[in-house]
Amino acid sequence: MSCNCNSNKPGCCHSSEQGVSRRNFLRTSAVLASGLAALAASLSPLMEMEDVPSAEKFLQKYYKELTPEEMAKVLKRIENEVERQYGIRPHVRDLKPMDGVEFVYCLNLTRCIGCRKCVHACVKENNQSRNPEIQYIRVLKMPHGTFDMEKGDHNYAPESVPEKGFFYMPVQCQQCKNPPCVKVCPVHATWTDSDGITVIDYDWCIGCRYCEAACPYWARHFNFTKPNIPKDKLNPEMAYLGNRPRRQGVMEKCHFCVQRTRAGKYPACLEVCPVGARKFGNILDPNSEVSYILRTKRVFMQLKEELGTSPRFFYYFDV
Amino acid sequence: MTQAIRNYCLFLWRCARIAFVGDWRYYAWMGALSVLCLLGLNAYCKQFAHGLIVTGMSDEVSWGVYIANFTFLVGVAAAAVMLVIPVYIYNNHELHDLVIFGELLAVAAILMCLAFVTVDLGRPDRFWHLIPGLGQFNFPASMLSWDVVVLNGYLLLNVHICGYLLYCRYRNRKPAKWFYIPFVFIAIVWAVSIHTVTAFLYVGLGGRPFWNSSIVGPRFLASAFTAGPALIILAMQVVRRVTASPPGVDVAGVALDGAVPASLVHFEMLERHLPEMASVPAELRSEILAGATVLEGNAGDVVCRQGESSDEAYFVLQGRVVIKREESGRFRITRSSGPGEQFGEISGLAGTPRVASAIVEEPSLILRLNAESMRKLMKPAPMNRIIHSRMTERLMITDRALMTLRGIVQVSMLINVFLLVNEIFKEFYTRTAHVASSHYLLLGLHGHHALVPWIWTAIAFNLIAMFLLVLPVSRSLKYLNVACVLAIVGIWIEKGMGLVIPGFIPTPLGAISEYSPSLNETLVCLGIWAFGLLCYTIFLRMAVPILQGRLSHANEQALYPAQAPVAEPAMAKT
Repeated sequence: MSCNCNSNKPGCCHSSEQGVSRRNFLRTSAVLASGLAALAASLSPLMEMEDVPSAEKFLQKYYKELTPEEMAKVLKRIENEVERQYGIRPHVRDLKPMDGVEFVYCLNLTRCIGCRKCVHACVKENNQSRNPEIQYIRVLKMPHGTFDMEKGDHNYAPESVPEKGFFYMPVQCQQCKNPPCVKVCPVHATWTDSDGITVIDYDWCIGCRYCEAACPYWARHFNFTKPNIPKDKLNPEMAYLGNRPRRQGVMEKCHFCVQRTRAGKYPACLEVCPVGARKFGNILDPNSEVSYILRTKRVFMQLKEELGTSPRFFYYFDV
Repeated sequence: MTQAIRNYCLFLWRCARIAFVGDWRYYAWMGALSVLCLLGLNAYCKQFAHGLIVTGMSDEVSWGVYIANFTFLVGVAAAAVMLVIPVYIYNNHELHDLVIFGELLAVAAILMCLAFVTVDLGRPDRFWHLIPGLGQFNFPASMLSWDVVVLNGYLLLNVHICGYLLYCRYRNRKPAKWFYIPFVFIAIVWAVSIHTVTAFLYVGLGGRPFWNSSIVGPRFLASAFTAGPALIILAMQVVRRVTASPPGVDVAGVALDGAVPASLVHFEMLERHLPEMASVPAELRSEILAGATVLEGNAGDVVCRQGESSDEAYFVLQGRVVIKREESGRFRITRSSGPGEQFGEISGLAGTPRVASAIVEEPSLILRLNAESMRKLMKPAPMNRIIHSRMTERLMITDRALMTLRGIVQVSMLINVFLLVNEIFKEFYTRTAHVASSHYLLLGLHGHHALVPWIWTAIAFNLIAMFLLVLPVSRSLKYLNVACVLAIVGIWIEKGMGLVIPGFIPTPLGAISEYSPSLNETLVCLGIWAFGLLCYTIFLRMAVPILQGRLSHANEQALYPAQAPVAEPAMAKT
């Protein structure tokens, strides 16, 4: 430190030192203050968050670890949340798989006319986001004579269906016996229940989208933002692992309408089908319709059989 | 034990303080990076509030530029091993100091990787579901859980190795082999594993034929060992430049002359700073005295010059001497020696020309020994050990070290291009239905070709880089740097966007939906890159002075002259 005055008074150097340190102090605090202000400004978009998770939601346990009492509490909380948001008191249940049941879906490609009624019934039943659109069923318009899905048309919109020279192939979650999505999930947020339905704990999914990359059937769909369902369109009959409204940043997919099928009803897509192309039932029951179809139809197939996923979803033809 | 931890924390604190000290260029660089970081943070907060809808990703292309950068950076982190192997397995001394820089780069790269996967999560608030014990960790079934394990493990390994080696240098202590060598070898295997696991993340998906190819793993390693060392070549030259002083200024000082014969008192002075001297018995001391002289120098005096032949070695008894080495027209400070430390002993003992010049930094007393006396001094085992161990403690980023790295980049690039050719042959010669993604990437598919210009740029860059690297022109740093930049950019495109995006196009149901990152997404990426560079700059800011001997336990006061008690000679001058 230099001192230009020639006096030897000890106070001289001392005071200039103090001046420098004061200047230093002022400079440091100015830098610190502007840094903090800039940090606050960068964090400001967080104020726009609508759905801030409460401590209770943040700490909620994994589905399989919830005791029945805890589950009852969680269901109550979900009902309250839905009521607050949509103005309708829903009925949310935690439906367990039934014993001695393994669900299988059969779809008759000879009958399907590509009307997409199943797509819309599914959206309605399962409280899917309308904007952005999420749909569990994708119907492909395929030219006769090929199964190459690259030749399929996803966006067909003719005056009327069916069109000559084409057949229609609806694809949804194939409920695989060897599901790649379950294998890759890093947090066990998705698993296959004993009735063969692969379900998702929406409150446990971390949103890494690895399952979406792993699925060979493009069956999984991600909530890129807060789902948007019109208040008057909400289906109040809900299940925890089924159609309760999802939140931003989690995965969802077809679950064979667990809120219906685990209560003894058919899936919504089957009920709406005008041509009876969709069949659903318990493969463990030899008298079920699906057992009969798989026993008697000469041609049926699993999509992308070569991948070894072993779907519980069969396509067949009336021959 | 607690004392050791306290000392280590104190060391970290000293290092942290130094991160805030620098010249205006340093502040400008750090300021600019901080601004970019904050911009990125701002963009991420928008994403956090509104969801991943603010990115360009969709259900069709559900991973984008975040995961692409993640994949590239895991490779950079893994490549640090290509410096560790030559040093620890083949005893290459040229690369010795570069190892720490490589490992610090790995630490910075892993931090960026973790940031990139975090920003890719739809529900980052639920990250605790991944913590084993607390959450539900799907290990070993999910490759992503493997990645969590190996990336965090690699981070800890490198933090331990770098931290320990730098701490030892700071305390001027020889590192205990058992405390770091086993970790070095674990880190070598681990480095290969982090990139293999990252490749398996893709390879394991049967529904995505573009990724479901066994060559992806080897390709990842080859491209990583190209891009990583290339990045280190560039980073090391930046370090060299920043630590350099303008040419021809410093060595212009007066050659130091006027030696007086040494006496036993000087040996006692040395013993105060070099306790190992105690092992030199009295009769040996008097023998050594025959070839010992003492020099007294002022700041700027030149003790010895690079290129001169000489058979003398030196010890600093008092003051400080800086060792500078001229290379590629610039002077680099390789070390600053304080009391008790030697210099000039390598060429002194070997009788070869001096590889560096030594200039007095502050008024000093220097002990000069001829080669014979030096050998006698090194007879007692403790002296021999300490002198030998210090021979390697010099921060020398030599051109030869960079050329060794060039060799690595050269071979890896050839392998990388060869593997790429393999993949292209298999896809396009057989032309099964699986060719669709490659077709989209290289030639476009059904009128969609967003990636085509990118991938051909990457291929052109890689090929030019390969030719430059193979040709002798890249022995000149100018061309080597061009090749490195081209290789890094080429690989960044090829294994980032060029690998992640086509995997999703067409979708498993044959639909084509293209992807391009949104502005918000790009800002987040820039922010994370700035954050990584900020971390690496801070690491270097701490490591360089330690390796140069400027920041050590013994002389840490010197760095903070404003806080240190005013030195007595300075008072006398005013």
